[in-house]
Amino acid sequence: MLIQTTQLRKDVETSEGILHILQPTSLQIEAGETVAIVGASGSGKSTLLSLLAGLDLASAGDVSIDNVNLGDLDEEQRAKVRADKVGFIFQSFLLIPSLTALENVMLPAELAGNKNAEKQARELLGKVGLGDRLTHYPNQLSGGEQQRVAIARAFVGTPKILFADEPTGNLDAATGHKVEDLLFEMNQESGTTLIMVTHDSELAERCQRVLRMEAGKLAEVERDVA
Amino acid sequence: MWHKISWRLLKHELRRGELTIMAAAIVLSVTAVLSLALFTERLQAGLTERSAEFLAADRVLSSRRDIPQDWLDRAKEEGLRTADRVVFNSMAFANEELALVDVKAVSEGYPLRGELRTAQQPYAADELAQGLPDAGEAWVAAALFQELNLSVGDNLEIGDSTFAVTRVLTYEPDVGFSVFTDSPNVLINYSELEGTGLIQPGSRVRFNLLFAGENDALNRYEEWLKPQLNDDTHNWRSIEDGDSPLARSLRRAERFMLLASLLGVVLAATAVAVAAQRYCQRNYDVVAIFKTLGAQRAQIQKVFILHLLLLTGFSIVTGLVLGWLIQGQVVDLVARYFDVNLPAGSGRGYLLAAGTGLVSAVMFTLYPLLRLIEIPPLRVLNRELTGTDRWRWLHWVASGGTIYLLLWLYSQQWLLSTALFAGGALAAVVLLLVSRFFIRASRQAGMQAGSAWRLAMAGLQRRAQANSVQMLSFSTAIMLLLMVLALRHELLADWQKQLPDDAPNYFLVNVAEDSVEQLKQRFDERDVQVNDMYPIVPGRMTAVNDVAVVDEVSKEERESEEAPSSEQREGFGRELSLTWRDTLPPNNTVVAGQWWGDDPKPQVSIESEVAERMRLGIGDELTFNIGGEVFSVPVTSIREVNWGSLQPNFYMIFNTATLSDFPASYISSFNLPEERKSELYELFKPFPQVSLIDLDAIMDQLREVIDQVSIAILFVLILVIVAGILVLLAQVQASMEERQKELVILRTLGAPAKLLSRSVTYEFIVLGAISGFIATIAMELSLYILQTQVFELAATFHWRFWLIGPLAGAVIVGTMGRLACNRLVRRNTAQLIRRLA
Repeated sequence: MLIQTTQLRKDVETSEGILHILQPTSLQIEAGETVAIVGASGSGKSTLLSLLAGLDLASAGDVSIDNVNLGDLDEEQRAKVRADKVGFIFQSFLLIPSLTALENVMLPAELAGNKNAEKQARELLGKVGLGDRLTHYPNQLSGGEQQRVAIARAFVGTPKILFADEPTGNLDAATGHKVEDLLFEMNQESGTTLIMVTHDSELAERCQRVLRMEAGKLAEVERDVA
Repeated sequence: MWHKISWRLLKHELRRGELTIMAAAIVLSVTAVLSLALFTERLQAGLTERSAEFLAADRVLSSRRDIPQDWLDRAKEEGLRTADRVVFNSMAFANEELALVDVKAVSEGYPLRGELRTAQQPYAADELAQGLPDAGEAWVAAALFQELNLSVGDNLEIGDSTFAVTRVLTYEPDVGFSVFTDSPNVLINYSELEGTGLIQPGSRVRFNLLFAGENDALNRYEEWLKPQLNDDTHNWRSIEDGDSPLARSLRRAERFMLLASLLGVVLAATAVAVAAQRYCQRNYDVVAIFKTLGAQRAQIQKVFILHLLLLTGFSIVTGLVLGWLIQGQVVDLVARYFDVNLPAGSGRGYLLAAGTGLVSAVMFTLYPLLRLIEIPPLRVLNRELTGTDRWRWLHWVASGGTIYLLLWLYSQQWLLSTALFAGGALAAVVLLLVSRFFIRASRQAGMQAGSAWRLAMAGLQRRAQANSVQMLSFSTAIMLLLMVLALRHELLADWQKQLPDDAPNYFLVNVAEDSVEQLKQRFDERDVQVNDMYPIVPGRMTAVNDVAVVDEVSKEERESEEAPSSEQREGFGRELSLTWRDTLPPNNTVVAGQWWGDDPKPQVSIESEVAERMRLGIGDELTFNIGGEVFSVPVTSIREVNWGSLQPNFYMIFNTATLSDFPASYISSFNLPEERKSELYELFKPFPQVSLIDLDAIMDQLREVIDQVSIAILFVLILVIVAGILVLLAQVQASMEERQKELVILRTLGAPAKLLSRSVTYEFIVLGAISGFIATIAMELSLYILQTQVFELAATFHWRFWLIGPLAGAVIVGTMGRLACNRLVRRNTAQLIRRLA
């Protein structure tokens, strides 16, 4: 089991009392699976994603990656887990504006101490079709190109898990489709586990499993696997 | 790896202009400190050297006895140049006439500073003297030519010696300002001194040893010598001691430069502080991304500390180069303009400047950086997260400590630093409170206004906390600018007053009573304005309250140097120039008792420093001996006298009834422009007994020094203005970014660009105007303290600044706000949203 949660819960304190943004959730995700988490805005999708990725800590319950309980780790150790096993793609791309496309892609590999960071990054950028835009800064790239850079960055450390938060949310339909295709293509090629938050049902349909979030409650959407 | 990332970030960010404000702030602080330190140091040295001419040396040791040989030897060891100067009073005979003269015997090398000028005939064009009078020769002041009816080549007897008069003495650097009490000078060679037979044990002679050399050597020598000096017989002085107009001007200039430089340093540091905050805020997202991508805290720390250090290093080097270039240019300008050589600066300025850059960059970034490193990775999903605030106290401690440290580093004066810091801190708290009040008040005013105004005021109120901090830096910057501006104005005006274009450049002495009217008439006819005529009656003060004063000190002792000093003395030890008049002379203020007006009762008014020195007060009975006639009068007033005024000034002034029956000669002063100098001879032809003292040379020198200082002050002012504008710019930039989100929302909702840019402009205008107003109040208070406590100036009210302050604040801050906002609203909404995303 690659990812496992047991009775995972997240509460936040507000001026009107405690808000349960994630009801106790138990979930298992196998290596190589592609999972979509769908739901309305504010339903708690992103909260679940942040807990699964170890970006945030749960109020109760456990989440483990590769049998390591993230709750037992401190911030530094969780960062290490992310560095070793996790890649990210965000709705707003989150590239570092003052680094070029190439340098953005190299960054995770460099942080992990990978000596071949540049070579890998060049290859990946070639693969996403940006081989000729290596020295461009994010603001010199279109939205679709920026997201392709982000995809290349996500794959650079050959992560086991890829978290994608509304990866096409900021793109027009045509560009969004191209990015989707690219994402799934690369995912298939590398056999990475993909966990994607989206409210695009068409995109969700491309995943093997679809989980629906409603008011902090998670439920598996039963359907025929294609 | 991390250093590569760090370097990469720096390289790109520098190129993309993202670090411009931060780098500019550090560069500016370094540039400002370096050029200020170097320039003031060099100018100071140059000025001291220049003004040393007034002493004819860098230091002078006066003594009533011979100066021990080993003191001289020691000076030689230190590499100092020395020269002897002995001054005494004697009668001189020529052409069967007799006159009291000041004899100055000087040795080889005199003057060590400045120059000696002589002419072939009285009032003829003069030239630089070659060497000194030879044995058997004397150079004589023009006044004596008139008094003794001398011609060049005549013999002059002094003591046992006879001297051939070979040149007219036109300018001696060390003649000083006390022209009224001086007798005409006779310059002879030191080797002739013994031959006169006038130097006997007990004779009233002042021995002076003049020193000149490197500052360090002088200081070392001074340290060695001072413990051996006896206050009763020795007097060690430099140009900055004393009360001459020059010494005062220099002291004031020095204080101004120091203060203005300190304010400049504080401003530059403020710019760094504002920029540092922004620098870190800009990187919040970057750190969150780093952490999400798995970066360890230590890696992030290293990346950003190195990034900051590289940026600081780069900026410091740029600042040093820039500062060096700027001060070089200014020094060049000054040197060319005034024909002086400014000595090279020391390494201290470079250290100080680099230190300032490093200290302010590191200390002001400390807290923002801590906060930056604490940014949670979750920020990638929730942009509101900004990490912990628990280190905020550290920010205040670090910032306050840094400012204090910088003040001290620059001034090396605990008291001044503490006073400025405490005053500044107090002002900051008050400013903070006042600005909150104003923001609240303006919101109420805004409710009644049009939509752009209403939006502006609502914004002002909503960001009250952030705005009051902004206002603090706006106010501080504007206040410091106004302060430096006003002080410069005050100083220049004061100097101008001291040396107006029509300041008298000639003094008349020895005008006989019966020629006064005739002389006035002749001056009138030739359209030469002559000032008040002062009668002079020579007399001695012999007793105070019937107790005789100790009168052992010779006249030479007083007159061998410049203006009256404030040494402790029992009596005057010489004849005084007494005068009478019914009206208080200009430049005099009664500080105790009352001026007599037309009260006919015999009485005297004394100068305040004399009163203090001799412990005299209102009601004391002073006894005078004038030509054998002895009488006593009570002191009825004490006057403060502006000795810098180059006007006739007196220790003792009597009312008319007391003195007017004694025979008197008159003195006065007048201004004759350079181009009319040739008329002098014609003007004075009917009054052969009148002596004329030419002050042009002294005044030119003084003017030149003041001009140099004025240039220096202008330079400091410009630097301070640049620093101030940078603070404003950094602050506007920072607050624009805070407003960005709101603007984007309003823009997306369809608010027209015009409305937005207007509302932002209005908000900044109001911020600027309030800041300007607060700044003016703060400036007025600070100036009052500075003028009265530091600059020896009268306190004044700067009504013009009450208009300039708010107006300038509104215009500058409003303009900057508008420019920054225009850049933002020019982008289309999609771009803006993406920027925010």
